[in-house]
Amino acid sequence: MIKFIVRRVVRGLVALLLFQSLLFALIHSLPYDFSAYVLTSPAMRALIRQQFGLDRPLWEQYFNWLEGFVRLDLGVSFRYWPTPVLDILLGNISRTLLLFLSAAVLAYLLGIWLGKMIAWRRGSLFELGATLGGVAAYTAFAPWLGFVMINVFGWYLHLLPYQRLVEPVVWYNAPLTVDALLARMVGTVLAALLVLALVWYATRRVRAAGWRWAAQGATLLLCIGVAWAVWARSGLGYLALDILAHMALPLGTVVLLSFGETMMTMRASMLETVREDYVLMARAKGLPDWVIRDRHVARNAILPVLTRLALNLPFVLIGSLIVERVFAWQAMGQVIFNAIEWQDIPVLMGVLSIVGILALVAHVVLDVLYMVLDPRIRHAAEKS
Amino acid sequence: MTGEHERASRLHRWSKMRVVRLQAHGRRVAADGRLFVRHPLGLVGLALILFFGLMVLSYPVLRATVWDFGYYDPITGFDPTAAPHPSTWTWRHLLGTDNFGRDVLCQLFAGAQVSFAVGILAALIAVTISTTMGGAAGYFGGLVDAALMGVSDVFVLLPAPVVLLIFGLLLRMRWPTVAVLYGILTGLGAQAIVVKSHTLKLKARPFIEAARGAGGGDFHIILTHILPGLSSLTIVHAIFAVVGAVLTESLLAFFSRTTYYLSWGTMIWLGQETFRWFSLEGQWHAVLPPAFSIMLFCSGFYLVGRALDDVLNPRLRRR
Repeated sequence: MIKFIVRRVVRGLVALLLFQSLLFALIHSLPYDFSAYVLTSPAMRALIRQQFGLDRPLWEQYFNWLEGFVRLDLGVSFRYWPTPVLDILLGNISRTLLLFLSAAVLAYLLGIWLGKMIAWRRGSLFELGATLGGVAAYTAFAPWLGFVMINVFGWYLHLLPYQRLVEPVVWYNAPLTVDALLARMVGTVLAALLVLALVWYATRRVRAAGWRWAAQGATLLLCIGVAWAVWARSGLGYLALDILAHMALPLGTVVLLSFGETMMTMRASMLETVREDYVLMARAKGLPDWVIRDRHVARNAILPVLTRLALNLPFVLIGSLIVERVFAWQAMGQVIFNAIEWQDIPVLMGVLSIVGILALVAHVVLDVLYMVLDPRIRHAAEKS
Repeated sequence: MTGEHERASRLHRWSKMRVVRLQAHGRRVAADGRLFVRHPLGLVGLALILFFGLMVLSYPVLRATVWDFGYYDPITGFDPTAAPHPSTWTWRHLLGTDNFGRDVLCQLFAGAQVSFAVGILAALIAVTISTTMGGAAGYFGGLVDAALMGVSDVFVLLPAPVVLLIFGLLLRMRWPTVAVLYGILTGLGAQAIVVKSHTLKLKARPFIEAARGAGGGDFHIILTHILPGLSSLTIVHAIFAVVGAVLTESLLAFFSRTTYYLSWGTMIWLGQETFRWFSLEGQWHAVLPPAFSIMLFCSGFYLVGRALDDVLNPRLRRR
């Protein structure tokens, strides 16, 4: 198993180096060098050429590029010269990751649940409705969906704020920055999830279902209560609410955009798993319908959906970048589209590198997770 | 005499074999067709595709008969009789006009052409590449597999929309460029990996071994067993590539990274830019038609893809 993980990571690192080489080749295959986009003055352009090493031979540039990448030096922005690209990206990536990961998790949970249900009631009106809704949301044009959400919930109904990360008026005398508060909020959620996971793990072998559910439910309520009390006492609750209100519409939009694919994949996977002999066996034992669905079919059907998730994550990421732009939610999406407007090519190349690294991490983690979860694959890997 | 007789009988047997095989194939296609017809969502999707297909076919006819060239051109048209210019629907302009005085319905028809062209071109390229690469990697294994999957490992890290958005800065893109680049990026990436794992499963089936035992060479086995076995996956991949390509093209047009042609993405961009400038209500008549067109066009292909998956994939087929 260790051998498998090591081999997978090494393969991933090789792919990453090849990926960087590909980016280099893509930029340099164009009939001009990218300093041509600096339009301020010839002197400035010469400076840029020198700083980016564009006057050196190509192979030297290539090794400089790779070496820079290994040292995580992604160059200098044109627009915010001489700020390093990495600083710009790192300053914004945490918020994008927050939006994108929470949207991915929510969309995944919603998609799995709906997919499970529609597979179980194949041919019903519920399936028709859920499929049409999910597919329509999945194929909706992302900027337009954001635009509709802004107009309906923000403009006509006045329910939620639809611009910016926070309301400047509310934050006028705030004692800490947005990022610091976001870190605290994420910390609260993670701590609550950790406690819940621990309680679930400790009680999972309790035979009496009533006691097990009582313990888990009580912990959930306790976590919510404690979190509420802590935030109420800290005096920062109004700021957290402001952030949450601003996050609601972008998050909802990304979830709407991305749950359909998971739902359809889960449905197909459920329909394949229903054919297995152990499901027939479970039916013969006379188990209740929902036990067969949740414990016997859905648990095994989730595994193939997990691998599809790795291929889907980049598209959830793109969805959230576009939605950030549409809602003017200050994060990576804004950086990318501003860089496109200002033709800030080093920043864009840095974005591609970061997206590549994120995709690679997702692939490797999910491959390893898949192997840990599926004994068939694990045995095959150990044998080879 | 015996030789001639033998040859004649062999010819006879061969042609009979062929007829029997064709009949069997026809029966299978008919059975698949019957299953598809009973699939309500697939029929909804098919109806949507046919609707947009009719739009494409009727566009030249309407241009020749009803829509006068000067008033109704999707890019340069202007109707001086209907003012002020983002106007709502009239009998002359069934979906109203945009703020440049162009007919929205006519633009919608013109956009349908672009969407079909982009989708089909991208799907053909993506499927050709992914089937060749994934099939070769899965069938031959070894060094071929390592080399081809190394390429796929790299390309799967490049999400096509982001790459195209960035390369729209460096290249002047019209719709064929968008379609070709999208096809290459998708075909080399995720699709090739899926095709490869499918080929591996196919190769382990006993009939491949039987064909090899009977003296079939690589070329024969690939042509008569592997490629038909991959055909259902190929069709489904092609349809999902259409969806992805059309969404990506609209996105590029929306962020004005494409030039010299009109598509639904451009229409949405224009409608949103001027949304509250010209009237208090907002011009939903100019934004909604292209947005719904993109959604329904892609939903149509997506639903047909899923329905075909249900019908062609033996493990999903309803029994």
